[in-house]
Amino acid sequence: MIPQKALSSSIGSKFLIALTGLSLVLFLVAHLAGNLLFIAGPDAFNHYSHSLISNPLVYGAEAGLLALFVLHIVKTVWMFAANRTARPERYAVRKWARKKNPSSRKTVASTTMILTGSITLLFVITHLVTFKFGPYYETAEGIRDLYRLQLAVFSDPTYVGFYLFCMAVIFFHLWHGISSAAQSFGIDSPHWTPRIIWTARLVTALLAAGFGLLPVFTFALSVN
Amino acid sequence: MTVKLRVWRQTGPGQPGRMVDYVAHNVHPDMSFLEMLDVVNEDLIRKGEDPIAFDSDCREGICGSCGLVIDGIPHGPDKGATTCQVHMRRFTNSETITIEPFRARAFPVLKDLVVDRTAFDRIIAAGGYVSVNVGGAPDANSLPIAKDVADQAMDSAQCIGCGACVAACKNAAAHLFTSAKITHLGLLPQGEAERSRRVIRMVAQMDGEGFGSCSNEGECEAVCPKEIPISNIARMNRDFLRALIR
Ligand code: HEM
Ligand code: FES
Repeated sequence: MIPQKALSSSIGSKFLIALTGLSLVLFLVAHLAGNLLFIAGPDAFNHYSHSLISNPLVYGAEAGLLALFVLHIVKTVWMFAANRTARPERYAVRKWARKKNPSSRKTVASTTMILTGSITLLFVITHLVTFKFGPYYETAEGIRDLYRLQLAVFSDPTYVGFYLFCMAVIFFHLWHGISSAAQSFGIDSPHWTPRIIWTARLVTALLAAGFGLLPVFTFALSVN
Repeated sequence: MTVKLRVWRQTGPGQPGRMVDYVAHNVHPDMSFLEMLDVVNEDLIRKGEDPIAFDSDCREGICGSCGLVIDGIPHGPDKGATTCQVHMRRFTNSETITIEPFRARAFPVLKDLVVDRTAFDRIIAAGGYVSVNVGGAPDANSLPIAKDVADQAMDSAQCIGCGACVAACKNAAAHLFTSAKITHLGLLPQGEAERSRRVIRMVAQMDGEGFGSCSNEGECEAVCPKEIPISNIARMNRDFLRALIR
């Protein structure tokens, strides 16, 4: 079979969605680890961010991230549209089947993937405009002072609220997303699947809590 | 007991349909759901009206003919049961019950509650068989198959092809049906030889019929009258991806 055709099949598409989704999750883990250096103070944070943005390899990494993002979005949006046409006539009454059998994994999170994904996209654009393409402050050493930028941004409580909302949205996306990706890869066993689901949810909670902590912490600093 | 029904009526394929209200009197709690509809239909026939069309055959949960969406759930409220196995004692007196056909682009309505499920037959025809000549039935112990493997193949083979999985899926996907067939054939040595070809062809047919993709929600498993788990879908994904790199 031609791989290109295989990757546009229902299973191949979900494989790509899972692959790009999980790669983005790995990026989030690395991103959070780096951001937590903010707590260590301006020097640690600015030196870390300088070493990132002054490394020529960063352009390759950024292009890769963009490609992952675009592929994830193109595939999910296309699949969402195809899924809608698979049921042209809606039901007059619709109930979740977990009412009769709790084996179902359907959750609020799993039913809102396209919505939480779309909000995430808007968030990422705002996030890049605010930080990456935001005001350029310099430290005394002459490197970019992202610490000062972050302090300035999160001194505004509305902005902190907006961030917390977006982290909640991503929490929902990954609550279903991470373990769903395992199933899309075909990873499953009676012993491991329940453990995968709970580990995935734990990772999701830790990611959302970590990313949620930073705006709050920064706001508290800016108040002092 | 008396129940009020809201039933989808549609005169033929492609025709516009609508929900019509009926009242079913003299319903005995021990009647099956389909018997209740029989009684309603006898009444309609007596009045010279068109009876409500619905599919059924064995009426004991083994043939896969019946299939209604009862109050928003395919095959109604009972876990691990078909529509014909649901009894009226599950409902309360003067309750309103909504009855709709299975809905999917690949399952067009033929009349009222009857849908065309031949898309499933075409998925089977695309690869849901063993075509290698395996000879006569071998001596019982000459072809050892581990007990858990045999059990798993047997559990998957329980699929009666009713289509409730499609009806329950928000994407009208046929992954549970297709994967059950792929598992029950692929796990056994006779079916192993065609495992890669089978999964590629059946998935291509399934996609071509206009079913959706799998969002891994497992509503299909929850409504399946044979309680076939979505671990079958994981196996199908595995087989499919494995077949690609071969
Ligand atoms: C940081 C960004 C993102 C991450 C980490 C992420 C992660 C994931 C993961 C792990 C999955 C599960 C894959 C699977 O079910 O096999 C997923 C599914 C999905 N993603 Fe994302 N995603 C992100 C952004 C987006 C965006 C921007 C959109 C759309 C505009 C989106 C839409 C979807 C949809 C609709 C699904 C569900 C697919 C289905 O129904 O099976 N995601 N995502
Ligand atoms: S009529 Fe045969 S399964 Fe219901």
